[in-house]
Amino acid sequence: MLRKIAFNLFAWSIVLAVAFPLFWMLVTSVKPQFELFRRPPTMLPETFTLEHYWGLLTETKFLSYFWNSIILSTTTTVVVVAIATIGSYSLVRFRYRGRETLAFLVLFTYLLPSVVLILPLYLMLVNLGLSNTITSLVIAYTTFALPYALWLLRSFMAGIPEDLESAALVDGASRLGAFWDVILPQLLPGIISTALFTFILSWNEYLYALVLVNSDEARPLTTGVMNMLISSFNIEWSLLMAASVMMSVPLIIAFAFLQSYLTRGFGAGGVKG
Amino acid sequence: MADVVFSSVQKQFGSFMAVDNLNLDIQQGEFISLLGPSGCGKTTTLRMLAGLEFPTGGEIKIGDRVVNDVPPGERDIAMVFQSYALYPHMSVGQNISYPLKKRRVPKAERAAMMAKTAEMLQLTPLLDRKPKELSGGQQQRVALGRALVRDPKVFLLDEPLSNLDAKLRGHMRTELIELHQRLGRTMVYVTHDQLEAMTMSDRIAVMEGGKLQQFAPPKDVYREPANRFVASFIGTPGMNIVDGALRHEGGRWIFEAPGISVGTQNLGPETRPGNAAMGIRPEGLSFGEGPIEGIVQLVEQTGHENIVVVLVGTDMRLTGRTAADRVWRAGESVQLSIDSNQAHFFEDGPNGIRLNRPLSSPGNQEAAQ
Ligand SMILES: Nc1ncnc2c1ncn2[C@@H]1O[C@H](COP(=O)(O)OP(=O)(O)O)[C@@H](O)[C@H]1O
Ligand SMILES: [Mg+2]
Repeated sequence: MLRKIAFNLFAWSIVLAVAFPLFWMLVTSVKPQFELFRRPPTMLPETFTLEHYWGLLTETKFLSYFWNSIILSTTTTVVVVAIATIGSYSLVRFRYRGRETLAFLVLFTYLLPSVVLILPLYLMLVNLGLSNTITSLVIAYTTFALPYALWLLRSFMAGIPEDLESAALVDGASRLGAFWDVILPQLLPGIISTALFTFILSWNEYLYALVLVNSDEARPLTTGVMNMLISSFNIEWSLLMAASVMMSVPLIIAFAFLQSYLTRGFGAGGVKG
Repeated sequence: MADVVFSSVQKQFGSFMAVDNLNLDIQQGEFISLLGPSGCGKTTTLRMLAGLEFPTGGEIKIGDRVVNDVPPGERDIAMVFQSYALYPHMSVGQNISYPLKKRRVPKAERAAMMAKTAEMLQLTPLLDRKPKELSGGQQQRVALGRALVRDPKVFLLDEPLSNLDAKLRGHMRTELIELHQRLGRTMVYVTHDQLEAMTMSDRIAVMEGGKLQQFAPPKDVYREPANRFVASFIGTPGMNIVDGALRHEGGRWIFEAPGISVGTQNLGPETRPGNAAMGIRPEGLSFGEGPIEGIVQLVEQTGHENIVVVLVGTDMRLTGRTAADRVWRAGESVQLSIDSNQAHFFEDGPNGIRLNRPLSSPGNQEAAQ
């Protein structure tokens, strides 16, 4: 009994420690400017205001960055999931020489810190005439999200019995038809986990966005927000917090809807991987 | 008319020969079983017939069409998988009508055919369920339904009953036999269970190590096994096989092993003196007065008979059957005799061929029929 209480206390203190910064972010974003730096700080805002949100949406390029981020993350997710799905199918279903080595080599890219990869990638993208475009970021994100996505989906794919596909072939489906009718529906939890993973990664990415894109037309939220709200003289805390809250919204929505898939998915992937 | 023909079919996985020089000639409407121990190449053979594996040599014909390069969907076959392979995200009804959908059968017709099949297999109340909401036996019926719904030329079944409990298995065996009689379609049935093969098939193809050992009706496989492997594989309890030697004496052959001597005239002309083996089924041993001395080691009571294992000499064990009312004690001394008319003789080696004259050949009592 005592142990149980101690355990609960422990667990809740961890939850609090994790949740407090989020709470503080939310609170700060709705406090008026003059209340921000008061000492002692107010736990709950004495005056509630949405002026920072309003300011962010009307007076800054927030919406344009937000839109860039949406396009960037969605495109990356679609590209990565599509390639990883087909790739994992190949790795699991077809027997060819070096299949295992290939799967392993794919993970090799993670041994190099991304800082090392950025410069060569930057030069390549410049040569391709893609500098300062969203496309350049899509390509860059694909290079680092794909290997993990491939491995994640591979373990899901391996869990789908080959007989299912054989049955579909005997029943008159083409290989593509069998893939579409039987494999994809079975793979759905894996696809959702992978998509979510890729989306989050792209949504939060900072380093590549900082190096590869230097124009407001293509800048995503992460670097955009930093760029406009943090100067060497001043940090616009309240605007920054409002921006952070809004940045979190798409992820929170995605999680809320796909949560059950995600836990199921990572569970399955973990066991079989 | 031959419906399915395997000519010198071979399947190699890397350097491993899974199926080796297989020749089979299956008649239209025949129920044949591929029988053999696990790993002998039964599934591989069936998958080649289905078009799911491609032979590395030889030719497979369905009807008069060589199908080596024909994809599974165009072979006019249906297959029931050992794992059932039901599509988990589809309802029972959708599972059964999937093959029709893929063959572009119009929707109304599809529904009617599906309903008819479901009715026949008593699946009608379950049509809206998902496979995982069904019992093993019900899943099995859905798998059958998916195969039956479109009346293919050849049915392929890969150990369809092996995941059912014993009672249901017996029941489904009868149902499959009835189904075959009703449909009159060619069926190729894979099993490692000799009881299934013996009770259901018109002919049994016994396989071992990727090679066909014998292809004959159940009765012949039992009474005239082609070689020592078939002899020992078929029958429960298994045939007693004794290693020894054959010698020719006074116009007849004598088989000798420690403690045993059996004479016979029934061996074919290719018989040579030297190492050989003798096989005798449990029912070919009689207890009571006899030249063989042994000690009862073990008694298994099945209810309608007693299976008795007798130790002869130091390490030979012979299994016999006796009436259930005969009481045995372990350690008891017994005398046995071997009915030489029921003895089989094999060349030396694990797959040594059978040397006996065919039962129907001249000079044999059954030649008259
Ligand atoms: N795809 C494959 N790759 C390599 N070896 C295989 C493959 N499929 C089957 N085998 C091998 O071929 C042999 C026969 O297999 P199978 O036909 O499944 O046997 P059975 O159905 O009689 O138990 C086994 O030794 C098996 O390991
Ligand atoms: Mg098998």
